[in-house]
Amino acid sequence: MIVCVAVIGQQNNPLFLQSFTQEDDDLKLHHIVHCSLDVIDERVNNPKRSGIAVNEAFLGLLYPTESYKVYGYLTNTKVKFILITADPEVRDADARNFFRKFHVAYVDAVSNPFHVPGKKITSTSFSRKLRSIVDNLGSITTV
Amino acid sequence: MDSDDVSKSSLSKYLHEEITPVVMLLCTPLAEQACRKNSLTLVQMLKPFSVSTNIQVPVRTTTDHQPYTLRSFKLRFVSDSDIRQPQQQDIVSSLKEVVSCASDETTYDPQSDPPQLHNLLSMSESEVSPPWFSVFNRNLSQAVSFSEHETFDHPVACLVIVSSSDEHPMSKFGDLLSLDQLPTPLNQGVMDPRMLKHYILLHDKQDNSTEKASKIYAEMKNTLGLNQSRLLCINSNKDEAIKLLENPWICNKTGSVQNHEIARFLSIEDLNEIKELVKDLSSKMIIPYMEQKIRNLNQQVSATRRGFRNQIKNLWWRKGKEDALDNSNGSMYTYSSTESQIRILGDYAFMLRDYELAISNFRLLSTDYKLDKAWKHYAGVQEMMGLSLFMLDQSRKDSEVCLETAFNTYLKLGSSGSKNATRCGLWWAEMLKARGQHKEGADVLFRISCEEPSLHAAVMLEQASYCYLLSNPPMLRKFAFHLVLAGNQYNFSEQRKHAIRTYRSALSVYKESGWSYINDHVNFNIGRWLAFLEMFDASIKNMLGILECSHQPLTTQNLFLKDFLHIVKNMGKKLEISKLQLPSISASSLKVIFEDHRTYASSSAVHVREKIWQSLEENMVPPVNGIKSNWLDSRKIQTPKKYSGNVSMVGEAIKVYFEVKNPLQISLSVSSMSLLCEISAKPTVEGEKKSNTGEIFDTRDQNDCTLEHNQLELSEHNFVLEGGVIKEVQLDVTPQMEGFLKIVGVKWTLSGYVVGYHKFDVDLKKKCKKGKSIVRSQKQNMSFLVVKGLPKLEGCIHQVPKTTYSGDLRPLTFELRNKTKYTVKNMKMKISHPRLLIPGSSGDLDLEFPDCLKKQNSSEDKNIQAEIMHKSGGLLFSFPTTAKINGGENIQWPFWLHTAVSEKISIYISIYYEMENISCDLHYRTLRMLYEIEVKQSCYVLSFFTLEVFFVVSTFIY
Repeated sequence: MIVCVAVIGQQNNPLFLQSFTQEDDDLKLHHIVHCSLDVIDERVNNPKRSGIAVNEAFLGLLYPTESYKVYGYLTNTKVKFILITADPEVRDADARNFFRKFHVAYVDAVSNPFHVPGKKITSTSFSRKLRSIVDNLGSITTV
Repeated sequence: MDSDDVSKSSLSKYLHEEITPVVMLLCTPLAEQACRKNSLTLVQMLKPFSVSTNIQVPVRTTTDHQPYTLRSFKLRFVSDSDIRQPQQQDIVSSLKEVVSCASDETTYDPQSDPPQLHNLLSMSESEVSPPWFSVFNRNLSQAVSFSEHETFDHPVACLVIVSSSDEHPMSKFGDLLSLDQLPTPLNQGVMDPRMLKHYILLHDKQDNSTEKASKIYAEMKNTLGLNQSRLLCINSNKDEAIKLLENPWICNKTGSVQNHEIARFLSIEDLNEIKELVKDLSSKMIIPYMEQKIRNLNQQVSATRRGFRNQIKNLWWRKGKEDALDNSNGSMYTYSSTESQIRILGDYAFMLRDYELAISNFRLLSTDYKLDKAWKHYAGVQEMMGLSLFMLDQSRKDSEVCLETAFNTYLKLGSSGSKNATRCGLWWAEMLKARGQHKEGADVLFRISCEEPSLHAAVMLEQASYCYLLSNPPMLRKFAFHLVLAGNQYNFSEQRKHAIRTYRSALSVYKESGWSYINDHVNFNIGRWLAFLEMFDASIKNMLGILECSHQPLTTQNLFLKDFLHIVKNMGKKLEISKLQLPSISASSLKVIFEDHRTYASSSAVHVREKIWQSLEENMVPPVNGIKSNWLDSRKIQTPKKYSGNVSMVGEAIKVYFEVKNPLQISLSVSSMSLLCEISAKPTVEGEKKSNTGEIFDTRDQNDCTLEHNQLELSEHNFVLEGGVIKEVQLDVTPQMEGFLKIVGVKWTLSGYVVGYHKFDVDLKKKCKKGKSIVRSQKQNMSFLVVKGLPKLEGCIHQVPKTTYSGDLRPLTFELRNKTKYTVKNMKMKISHPRLLIPGSSGDLDLEFPDCLKKQNSSEDKNIQAEIMHKSGGLLFSFPTTAKINGGENIQWPFWLHTAVSEKISIYISIYYEMENISCDLHYRTLRMLYEIEVKQSCYVLSFFTLEVFFVVSTFIY
């Protein structure tokens, strides 16, 4: 089950964070997302050591916490997508697929002429779209 | 990293200090008593000399090894009663004391700014982590000392100490060594009771003559052996104490005993004698003894265990044992078992720093223990292997694997192994840190923290966070996160000062853009804890930053506000906060409305642009600079012209409009919102400014407030602002004296406890509706010259229809009231649409329909001059010259409204009047009125009819 998705801006400022749990755990998710930025920085600065391809936007599993796994994705504009999932096993292909859809939705959202680049994404349609992507992925992984 | 760095690392220092031979002290009560005279126990007395640094002892552990030299060596002196596993409560309380002491020591000012990030980054390792961490770690490791599964804590030698005052000292030596007197581990076969013995006759020079002592000493030498006996004289000092600088005990004692009492009878000679004793003990006895034992054991082990044949045999023999028995407590190994002997061999080799030999034996042993499933012993051996590999600085991977195996094995043991796991983890983390693998070290510390109670966990987490800071590149976010975790644990274990300290350090990271959720949480908790420690000012400072948290959910907003108000309540006084954001006041919405010579009939008239009025009044009012024709003229009217600001009248309200916004989703109760004004007396005309102008009444001052209330009338506003609502507030100030008035800001009370101030920003250019055409800075717009009250007319036109039809003609009554006691005269009027609104003659008022339709007779025409207005050029109408309005009176005048085409019209009317008999700064005023009328298309028939009427009326007007 996907717990949370987040969009982080160039300056490592949160642009968007959506939780898919019923609980009130925003603070925890913020902390997890915030910490994962360290790992992204590390991955990006030493691409060889962490073994990711140079042109690959998908950063793979960033780090596992006690109950979650955190995946990362870096766009060309240095905007980061973060996925927190509670599934014990996620196939890389699924995560990759998810991020690709996520990216498309993000591009749509920032192409909105009323969106100010670098500011928080407030679009409800973006949020709705993400929810549907998350629901789709959920159904794939559970099958 | 080369071995140089390893030997310099804190872990190797620690190992050289802590994994050293234990010397057990057995002494008679009288001997102990002799030491007590100096406020020292026997152990304490010996402790400062336990490190012998300038020795040169050649060591040759095995025959096929090259001899090497030990240059420094440390002994651990332990009293016999302490040779046992320490009580867990003692350890816990000692650890708590370390932490509490540290929290008292770290003096920081909660008011000061939290540490800056770049400062933290530039700090070196030793600066970042406070020294009490190592003390804490050491104490935590000692929780598992004198365990049966490892032998480096087993005493290597024992000092048997008898006082010269004892009766039958010779027999005392024997008594002390009798088995049943020895500590339990030695009795029960866990530790080897056969050890190196050294006999000391402690001679207290104050008690006995030297002769007696030397007599006993001679006897000792005869019976116990020359080399094994020694005479130690203490308390030879008679009068003065050793100079403090040279006193090696001071630093070891804590404050309970007065410093001058420590070692007060010990002379320099005594001191040197003790030093000599310890040095001889280590270099001449213990090291050779251990060396010898290593050789013997090594031979034994080689004979039975090394070589292929022995290994096969061993394997066979091991298999024969019931391997089903899961022997976790390892009670089957006594000191005399082969395994224990190999362990002793390994540990001795480690202590004598022959790590190669140690490793080979530990390796041998670990397979044995593994086969026996003696997991605790296995873990202990793995641990030592890891440390030996570290000290050799070979194969990093192996040493890590060893320590990790040890750590995990200890953890698997459950409660019996958890303390060992902690110690092992600490060593592991230290090892990683020494190799610059801070990130991995942090992971290990984090794992330890999961196993420990909250206080220990907090210290571990804090250490982990510093590891992240020191890792390359620094992982700041993890650093901050672990600080927050640590702070949380500190809070659980009621170490709030530490909690605040860690949270504050974390703040510097979360300040970076956007992470307001976390930032709020951190600030909120700091605030709460500071309040708990009754540091209210600092607490409020932290809380203020988070009050305006529109991004937080409703419950959090509620919590923040509630806690904030609670803290304020606990402070016991009203809190005054400038720039309180609850509710926030929008500077751009600020409007100031006041009346100088321009007065307004309605609020809609106020909001009309000044330009429209000015063009309307163009020919009616005297030009602004008309009074002073050139600069040579002496200024008759000094103050108002000299004063560039706004002018207001005594007794006339200045209205300030602004918008307040509730940024939260919860409703706020705001009470007694009023303007914050300063009024100072007007300087006298002669220009003596000095006396009164400087006198500014600050409304915040209670004393001045009462004074001011006589001079100012302030309106107060109470309201409840629902969540997210924007509300326009109108506040009035009515000056009651002449002088300078400055509107500084607004103050209000939030929820009855918090007094908020908002100062209107000085620099902001603002759109003051009433501002003169010159753009002025806000400051000027907010200051007023208050002059003596003037007559003011109020006027209105009765029965003005909102909507009407085109071609409509109707009479209207225009009324002017003078509510002041002065008389006004010389009234003029301008109307923006003179074709629509036409002043009639005063007689028209009495007309009644349909009489008015009759033809006028000539007699009425005579009076027309007096009763109608003069239309003198353009749009200007002058009231009859005789028309005056005395104080308290009013005047009515007929108007005709005649609409033409259908449209929306704003009719501007400005009335000019002059004062009579008043010597004043202003000699005229204007009254501005605005009416908006919507004219609708009407049907033709009606239109035709009204045209007829219009014709009739217009004939007698023109």
